Amino acid sequence: MAVNLSGAVTNKINHLQNEKIVIETKNLNFYYTPEKAALKNINIQIPEKKVTAFIGPSGCGKSTLLRTFNRMNDLILGTSLNGEVLIDGNNIFHPEVHLEDLRKKVGMVFQKSNPFPMSIKENVIFGPQVNGESKQSVLDGILESALVQADLWREVKDRLNESALDLSGGQQQRLCIARALANKPDIILMDEPASALDPISTGKIEETIEELRNNYTVVIVTHNMQQAARVSDYTAFMMMGELIEFNDTNTLFTTPNKPLTEEYITGRFG
Amino acid sequence: MRQPIKNYFKKGDPYILLTTLGLILSLGMVAWLILIILVKGLGIFWPSDLVKLDLKNDKVYMGELWNSTFEKTGDGSGKFKKVAKTQLKIGNRDVYGFDFTWVEDSLIRNKNYPEYATVFERVEYGNLYGFIKSVNIIDNKIESDNDTIFYKCRNTLSYANELKDTSDYLNTEYNDLLAPLNDIQRKISLLKMNEGYLSTKDKRKLEDLQYEEKKVKEEIEPKEILLNEKLNKNRNKLAKLYLLVETADGQQIKLPFENIVKFYQPNRMNVFEKGLQYIGSLWEFVSGDPRESNTEGGVFPAIFGTVMMVILMSIFVVPFGVLAAIYLNEYAKQGPLTRIIRLSVNNLAGVPSIVYGIFGLGFFIYVLGSSIDQFLFADKLPEPTMGTGGILWASLTLALLTLPVVVVATEEGILAVPRANKEGALALGSTKWQMIRRIVLPNAMPGILTGLILAISRGAGEVAPLMITGVVKLAPNLPFDTSFPFFHFDRKFMHLGFHIYDVGFQSPNVEAAIPMVYSTALLLIVVVVLLNLLAIYLRTRLKNKYKSASF
Repeated sequence: MAVNLSGAVTNKINHLQNEKIVIETKNLNFYYTPEKAALKNINIQIPEKKVTAFIGPSGCGKSTLLRTFNRMNDLILGTSLNGEVLIDGNNIFHPEVHLEDLRKKVGMVFQKSNPFPMSIKENVIFGPQVNGESKQSVLDGILESALVQADLWREVKDRLNESALDLSGGQQQRLCIARALANKPDIILMDEPASALDPISTGKIEETIEELRNNYTVVIVTHNMQQAARVSDYTAFMMMGELIEFNDTNTLFTTPNKPLTEEYITGRFG
Repeated sequence: MRQPIKNYFKKGDPYILLTTLGLILSLGMVAWLILIILVKGLGIFWPSDLVKLDLKNDKVYMGELWNSTFEKTGDGSGKFKKVAKTQLKIGNRDVYGFDFTWVEDSLIRNKNYPEYATVFERVEYGNLYGFIKSVNIIDNKIESDNDTIFYKCRNTLSYANELKDTSDYLNTEYNDLLAPLNDIQRKISLLKMNEGYLSTKDKRKLEDLQYEEKKVKEEIEPKEILLNEKLNKNRNKLAKLYLLVETADGQQIKLPFENIVKFYQPNRMNVFEKGLQYIGSLWEFVSGDPRESNTEGGVFPAIFGTVMMVILMSIFVVPFGVLAAIYLNEYAKQGPLTRIIRLSVNNLAGVPSIVYGIFGLGFFIYVLGSSIDQFLFADKLPEPTMGTGGILWASLTLALLTLPVVVVATEEGILAVPRANKEGALALGSTKWQMIRRIVLPNAMPGILTGLILAISRGAGEVAPLMITGVVKLAPNLPFDTSFPFFHFDRKFMHLGFHIYDVGFQSPNVEAAIPMVYSTALLLIVVVVLLNLLAIYLRTRLKNKYKSASF
């Protein structure tokens, strides 16, 4: 059933033909345990400088897929993978790829905000520092621009040396976005960035994403369909480890091709 | 009727009661222990009154009341009666041969507290109790009323102390003067030991040395004579300062001022004066050198040795323990092998400490120390420099002993670091080592310090492994002084724990040493608590800095 559903999904997206593709997976299969595939034969093309959302019920593999893009799944023992993930046309699982360079290029924001137990400033410049930048003037410039882009500069500019743990939950999450931006990545992966936040904080995060779309490729996982509809240009619907449908957001939410997609977005399951 | 009882057990009331009793019992025992040590350890420094007892058998004793008891005695007919007895510290070991005596209370005819009874703390032979008869200051015998003579004594004592300081100073000067000559002579005697087998080169060396010896001798001689003269003059002066003391039973004792540490007349001191005296004695105990095979005087070298050893141990054990824990948790592939290693590390904590001591002796001293001697101190062989017990080897042995504690505590600290933080750091492009250094280590620091606290508690109180790796009864020098290179890791050292054992069980004069055992035990507890407080303070500061993320 799975194979015939996901047959040639990508070919049907007419809009993508005008886009430059940054991330592309080819026949990607992923296993947490050898017996059961968490991702089954995923083929997806993610366009540059657009917001792409992954939606789907819990356990459908959307986070797993996201985490293959910066190889975070490598940290989990016993996982295996086949197929290809190309970023800018290069297979990121090629043995010569430097993991650190990949992760610098592909930033990530996690579901639960994870500021380090350091000052706000140290948090933001952590990435540039570990990647070899030590000039104070450069770091200060990065600090300000990253915080401005994450819409946090106004709130924290007077207490950059205070502990990041004293910020509110929403501020902490925007700090994590700033921290990812400080590395000047091309791609930002967001794994349900607003799921632990109140509506106001969520709104602010969405505004931030809105501003990021001009300069970055954003891939966001969410189980809030309204959010996907609000912030994304393209939406992929996944289920049981398969990519069911991938289309521009308007089309997917108004005239889905697949009955499963329609059932999901109208709330009949999930 | 049965239902309430069943409910009673179901609710667990009796078990709650048991837990409470258990807690009270443990706390009570700890409190009791501390109370005994506090009372016995601190009480000894109080200048107690001197009592003079006239006995019915015409004996007279004077001294400090020490103890009293009832003794059951039988006369052979099967009847027993209780006899009250009092123990008196009568001092004057050189006169009576013993410091303590028991007196049957029924024999006491008269008991009084003579106003001018004097306690002399002496460098040798313990305390002297008696009355000052006369003061002799350089052929000048002074007899006067009690008050005048007391002050005369006080002044003479400080004069004698000045003379002693001069003597010490002259002695060091003398030793420094002779040091180069001694060095040459030692080299000559080494060469002479195998005189028949010397190579021509060595023979030439011997001749050179002998020539040099002659030259240095000539050079030094006039200065040596001068110094000797000065020393003799000083010594003669000191010898002419002495007291005549009459004991309670009328014997006259000649007491050189050189031999007096301090003296006082407790029976006419008020509480305030006694308090000052008490503080002085306490300070002397903490800061002074031991006398009379450790049963008197201070324990400063032991405090110093204990603290320095614990600090050295911490310096060794923390880096090793932390590195081992990091490797086990972050780098090693988790599997049966790491499980076995972890289990073994945990079991190491249960190995008896004497086993570590023997390992320290066999490996550190005989293998490492001897090799170092062969490479670096070959000219001093066969006398070992590093190939014998010393503070370095003792600290290393204790570091080994406390390693498991630090490893386990650090592992717990590392496990408590949120996975989200580690992933966050890696997602920013940091390498694994950068992640460990900047995220894991700072967050695990409270755990590491907990390990350090446990290590200090365990290490500071260990005695057995130290006895064979470098602790001695009496060390001539501290392991740290002003002569280059300041830290002398090869030196043997004193330790409070060993001091307790030595004074309490190895000393020739056990009864006189008992108070010292309590005071030293108290001091050891205080030192351990202070070291722990230091580590706890550090941990609290770090915990405030790295309090866990929550909202």
